[in-house]
Amino acid sequence: MSALGELRRIRGSARGSPRKKDNRAALLFLLPWFAGLGLITVGPVAASLVLGFTDYNLIQAPEFNGVDNFTRMLSDERLYKALRVTFIYVVVSVPVQLACALALAMLLDRGLRGLAFYRSAFYLPSLLGSSVAIAVLWRQIFGADGLVNQILDLMGIQGRGWISDPSTALSTLIVLNVWTFGAPMIIFLAGLRQIPVMYYEAAQTDGANRWTQFWRITLPLLSPIIFFNLVLQIIHAFQSFTQAFVVSGGSGGPSDSTLFYTLYLYQRGFNSFDMGYASALAWLLLVIIAAFTAVNFWAAKYWVFYDD
Amino acid sequence: MRKLGAILLAATMTFGVAACGGGSDAGEELSEEPVTLRFTWWGSDARHQRTQQVIDLFKKEHPNITVKGEFKDWNGYWESLATTVAANDAPDIIQMDELYLASYAERGALLDLGTASKHLKTGDFEASALDTGKVDGKQYALPVGLAAYSIVVNTDLLAQYGVQLPDDSTWTWDDLKRIGGEISKASGGKVTGVQSWGFNDAGGLNIWARQAGASLFDDKGNVAIPPAVLAKYWTYLADMAKSGVAPPPSVTVERASAGLDQSGTATNTSVFATWWNTQLTSLTAASGKKLKLLKLPGEATAASPGAYYKPSMFWSISSRSKHPAEAALFVDFLANNEAAAKVLLTDRGVPANTKIRTAITPQLAETDKAAVAYLDTLKVGAAPRVTPNGASSIEAILKRHTEEVLFGRSTPDEAAAAFIKELQAEIDAA
Repeated sequence: MSALGELRRIRGSARGSPRKKDNRAALLFLLPWFAGLGLITVGPVAASLVLGFTDYNLIQAPEFNGVDNFTRMLSDERLYKALRVTFIYVVVSVPVQLACALALAMLLDRGLRGLAFYRSAFYLPSLLGSSVAIAVLWRQIFGADGLVNQILDLMGIQGRGWISDPSTALSTLIVLNVWTFGAPMIIFLAGLRQIPVMYYEAAQTDGANRWTQFWRITLPLLSPIIFFNLVLQIIHAFQSFTQAFVVSGGSGGPSDSTLFYTLYLYQRGFNSFDMGYASALAWLLLVIIAAFTAVNFWAAKYWVFYDD
Repeated sequence: MRKLGAILLAATMTFGVAACGGGSDAGEELSEEPVTLRFTWWGSDARHQRTQQVIDLFKKEHPNITVKGEFKDWNGYWESLATTVAANDAPDIIQMDELYLASYAERGALLDLGTASKHLKTGDFEASALDTGKVDGKQYALPVGLAAYSIVVNTDLLAQYGVQLPDDSTWTWDDLKRIGGEISKASGGKVTGVQSWGFNDAGGLNIWARQAGASLFDDKGNVAIPPAVLAKYWTYLADMAKSGVAPPPSVTVERASAGLDQSGTATNTSVFATWWNTQLTSLTAASGKKLKLLKLPGEATAASPGAYYKPSMFWSISSRSKHPAEAALFVDFLANNEAAAKVLLTDRGVPANTKIRTAITPQLAETDKAAVAYLDTLKVGAAPRVTPNGASSIEAILKRHTEEVLFGRSTPDEAAAAFIKELQAEIDAA
């Protein structure tokens, strides 16, 4: 507040009510953020909407081509492949990731010694998970001569090239996403702390076992948090890019098995100079994510319980 | 809303193509004022060091011209070039590849070097070499070096497994498969006879088509390879992987994405492999064994020669360069200056400039001399058409369909039909 006070003192002679001046100061401080938002986010987003209706090869001026880009999607086989890969990735990795996060959060919530350490240790992967370094590491771990195969070899099991085989490549990326359960775990942990202990005490008195307590108390009271995590992680998973880009060397391979939607969009835009179509694809992704989120909110009426 | 759209479009267009005019003429006198040029290339660390030395040499001769190098690896290079060109921030001098030449030239991003002949001399280049840099009859790019596709064989491993060196003037594709099989058998699968191809390079496919009397693209720039020829190409590769002549598909995929140093040739785990002849030096350094260049199989019985000279890369100048005359002078230095050539040697291929080639030959290492000798003894046909605008993603498309076939997700016939359809669609869309 001291900065605001300072500003108010400097502008003491300015006209207008103190409240208006407060607002003006706030706006002033927000200006850099607004400028960034406008230039780096809103501007390009709006431009991409326009470009979605053009044929634009990055070098020559864009030409309007109506809804051609959108009708072209209907017969784009690689787009269907990309959608399939992305849906599998979202539908499998998000629930598994949230289940792991909840399980770990409940374990940590029971007052483990060294809680702070474990919390940080489990949280760390979600800070690193979408980084290039971890994706490179993943390549090494799941490569033909990687750590996983060396361990399997010790147990006398013949490994395989997990990342270079189209039947397992996507699974390794799902494992990578599950491994970054730290962020939802922290949120779960905070949610668990909010549940009054007296509910459990009352349940115990009534003879409810642990499973019943979890099912009847923890889950319902935690459902807003689960919902929050679910929405966030689904959006996040749809936008995954780095892992697939690095692990497949930008190709989405082998044989398109890791062709995430965003990766395909990137290939169209930057490898095939097809920025008009890529922009249209970006807007389709927005619509898909919005639809998923809307369904999520609609379904929430039936299972999310607000205790107030 | 419509007005907003128009404004936004106008804004993006300004970013995209601002100043189609502007810049001065490539035929003008050189500036006396300080000039800064940006020069971009892809390549290895060794190339970056050599190129920097040449930049320093140039600076000594022309103290008022500063050349700033911007270098990347192959994968990041094209994405970054596309975005800088789109942002009207293209480097002045651009190292160009055959795959992308038409894409950039036809979109007006490159300077017609013919307009710069006052500063850039091309007299020591053969006409056939110069032609490889022309699009629609205009010289948009100057070839730097030449390369030819070859089979690299590890003669140390051949001796170890008691297999005779085949005669490359008569051998066929069946011979390669048979000999490769003998090696895989003798090594117990530890070393495979052949390293699979069809991943990072369309060279092998080009030659396969040419040997069958066809070509990958026709003169108009449409896909021309017959589906049956393409299907046979993949049948051959799939057979080798299945019978153990080549490694299992997942090993091949992993090696192909890991670069030269992890290849079967470099790690001495495959005896025969397809490479450009100019890669012999790097491969020999990595493997530490004796490697030899062989002509491709099937040339003796082919309908027409498959072999051809491929320009390893080109020099181009941005059409929006503010200093085209100075940029042309620098390209002239790169292409014609002997002192520069003695630093660069064959790093960018065997020099296409014949005078320079003779000048540097005594200085070359054994493997480089072998690469030059291979070029000289090779019987080549006319160079294939430059990769058409839009088809620059051919390597990625080829790789994907090769994977489909090797992993048994498509039959060779299905892959052939899909490949042709997809590649043609890319060309039509451009």
